[in-house]
Amino acid sequence: MSTAVTTNRGGKYLTFALGREGYGIAILKVREIIGYMDITAVPRTPRHVKGVINLRGQVISVMDLRTKFGMDEAQRTEETCVIVVETNNAGRKLSIGLIVDKVSEVLNIAEDAIEDAPSFGTGLDTQFILGMGKIGQSVKILLDIDKVLGAEDFVRDH
Amino acid sequence: MHALSKQIDQLSAILIGADPSDLQNLADAHAKFEALGEAAKSIPGVDASTISALGGITGGACKSLEQLILNEADNAGAALKAVLNTIADVQALLESGGLCDAEIADDTIESTFGPESTTGDTDPTGAAQLPPTDFVPRAAAEATTAAAAVRAFAADEVPLLQEFITEATGHLETAEQEMLTLEDDPSNKSSLDSLFRAFHTIKGVAGFLDLKQMQALAHITENLLDKGRKGEISLTGTPCELVLSAIDTMKSLVNSVQTSVTDNSPLASMTGVEALVKTLQDFVEGKVVDAPRPAGILAKSQTTASFHDAVAPAAGEILASDQARASEARNAGDGTVKVATDRLDNLIDMVGELVIANSMVAQDLGGNSQKDVRLSRHLGHLTKIVRELQDLSMSLRMVQVGTVFRKMTRLVRDIGRKMNKEVELVIEGGDTELDRNVVEALNDPLVHMVRNSIDHGIELPEEREAQGKPRVGTITLRAYHKGGTINIEILDDGKGLNKDRILKKAVQNGLISKEESRTITDAEVHRLIFAAGLSTAETVTDISGRGVGMDVVKQNIEKLRGRVDIASETGKGSVFTIRLPLTLAVIDGLVVKVGPQKYILPILSIEQSVRPTEEMISTVQGRGEIVTLRGSILPLIRLHRLFNLEPKTTDPTQSLVVIVQDNDRRACILVDELLGQEQVVIKSLGKEMGVLSGISGGAVLGDGNVSLILDVPGLIGLA
Repeated sequence: MSTAVTTNRGGKYLTFALGREGYGIAILKVREIIGYMDITAVPRTPRHVKGVINLRGQVISVMDLRTKFGMDEAQRTEETCVIVVETNNAGRKLSIGLIVDKVSEVLNIAEDAIEDAPSFGTGLDTQFILGMGKIGQSVKILLDIDKVLGAEDFVRDH
Repeated sequence: MHALSKQIDQLSAILIGADPSDLQNLADAHAKFEALGEAAKSIPGVDASTISALGGITGGACKSLEQLILNEADNAGAALKAVLNTIADVQALLESGGLCDAEIADDTIESTFGPESTTGDTDPTGAAQLPPTDFVPRAAAEATTAAAAVRAFAADEVPLLQEFITEATGHLETAEQEMLTLEDDPSNKSSLDSLFRAFHTIKGVAGFLDLKQMQALAHITENLLDKGRKGEISLTGTPCELVLSAIDTMKSLVNSVQTSVTDNSPLASMTGVEALVKTLQDFVEGKVVDAPRPAGILAKSQTTASFHDAVAPAAGEILASDQARASEARNAGDGTVKVATDRLDNLIDMVGELVIANSMVAQDLGGNSQKDVRLSRHLGHLTKIVRELQDLSMSLRMVQVGTVFRKMTRLVRDIGRKMNKEVELVIEGGDTELDRNVVEALNDPLVHMVRNSIDHGIELPEEREAQGKPRVGTITLRAYHKGGTINIEILDDGKGLNKDRILKKAVQNGLISKEESRTITDAEVHRLIFAAGLSTAETVTDISGRGVGMDVVKQNIEKLRGRVDIASETGKGSVFTIRLPLTLAVIDGLVVKVGPQKYILPILSIEQSVRPTEEMISTVQGRGEIVTLRGSILPLIRLHRLFNLEPKTTDPTQSLVVIVQDNDRRACILVDELLGQEQVVIKSLGKEMGVLSGISGGAVLGDGNVSLILDVPGLIGLA
């Protein structure tokens, strides 16, 4: 997966934090950011699917990005946010909420500041990662959100 | 200008089919172009620049044609195509009514007939050299597809085609109605005009979209109708049958275009169309033709029906059909706007949210209303507006049930003829409004029931006379509001349900035992006809009698959360009453609480709720729990275990069980508490959630939170 991606990855990214890690999502994929609200749990779904919320009349599903990436669930704070992204799942537009610890800022990351994800060996799956954006001394993990959400079905049937 | 457009039409007709080696055609075209240039000068009100521009174009075309005739052109095909393109230019010029300035026209001439290009150096694609005006693709498309026997659609044509399909379906339905009106009243001028217009419009657009078969059929039908308009023929008997079969064939053609667009496959030409065109042609020319027999028509109308069956999955689920869109298209004529359904749904969603937001604000204000009179007065005003907005938004989805009723007219006519029965259809309350989805879903059940009423109910004319009834049987479709539901009745004055025969058949098919058949009540007998595998028609016809149908009807109606009742009197007739909710978007639900979560149980599936006593609970083989309630044994479903929740208590005697039913199956659902009844708006959980066992969807509660609606049949299945 460390082979060069030829498409232009430079552009504006919405950055957010999960624990001490900084992430970014292409801004065009983001529909809106809302504060954390009560989520209605849906039974028989995978652990990272937290449930559904009512986004102004539209019922959308919400997933916890920490759980999805195998991290421990965090305490909900004032800063906990739901980023509503619009993805393209096999040609179907889909709005999904992502629970993140904190939304940081929108950054303009140039193409030459983005590197391919390094190979971590077998222990880590890097297929969700579009690239690593270098901002000064820090690094933001840029996510390919279509792959994050398209990777598996929401339903785990028993 | 009209004389001119006629000439242009003739010109394009000559040129589209022309072969560069066909000198006669080219000479004809040459003469026409010359005449066109002359004719333009004699029309008053055309300004000089238009005339000179037109002269330039026609002159250029003449020159090219001369070269073609003298065989001087290097690339004859391309040159011919270029000539064809000029027709579009001429049309555009005329349509702009002299607004097209000479300069643009000059450009056109230059690029099409420039000194070099005329001698044959033309780009093979021809059209590429033309200025990028909107009429070019059309001319190009006509030229390139003219020879193709099988038509493939370009991506940019799809929206046009979709619109055409919607429109054509609407026109064909109008045409059918008008034809049937005409048959009864051949002097009805307005019906004839509207019938004529329908075919005329289809012909025009089909020609534009290069749908050849459709264009040909529409054209010849139009000719036939024109004879009717001129009073040369009366549109009864043979011509009527011909027009009706033309309508049927057109419908199939429209369907094939739809299939082709949906599957992105090339449009294959349909067989039998040419034969029909030929028959129509012969008739128009005054030759004697055989009227298509009603049987033939019926067979065709059944293919249309089976087309719908094919679209609908075997379970009888009814999908949104073209017809509803068609009815919208028809409505579009009289001061209405066509709106995409998803926009409409969005609007309704938003209004729903507004209602919730409004009630939240009202609650927040609650105690303070005494202090701030002004604020509470304004809030009251707002609430009133919001409520009106909500009523209005709900009414947006409503359509008149008459649209489905009127479709039955044709069915009654055809089946009546096929069965040699005389039947009249009476429609009452066609203006009763119902949710669009319900109206759509009603079509198939109605078709089945009307068919059954004619086949089983109405007697042959002789039998009727013998019994002192009028020769002509009557089937009435009636719709009306009654206590929050819509009732739809299908009445016939036929022989009524034959109780003995139903019983005999039911015993034969093992639906009931012989003993049961002796004690059974009338209502129960009537209900038997909804059982799968029961048909009482003594001979199986292609109309009814195969024993599938009424059970599907019942399923479909129940899917709409409605029910069917039957009343019947031997010798007098039967009444089938369908009771339907006003809308599918809202259900009455009982909000129950399990642990921290609220769930909604549809009221319709609830029988009662009780707090069980110790003795009522027992287990089977130490695992499966059952509740004994007044002699019946019901399985106990523990929602907290199924959904992995932490309940208030696991002891059933400390909480409540709700007894639910789905058809004949019943079960008890263990919940912590009942929170009350609420009308909720049903929302889809989104496709990404897929099918969740035990959950049928989501709903937004009054407090704005989402709650899950329990799927009772699914839960009973899980127990």
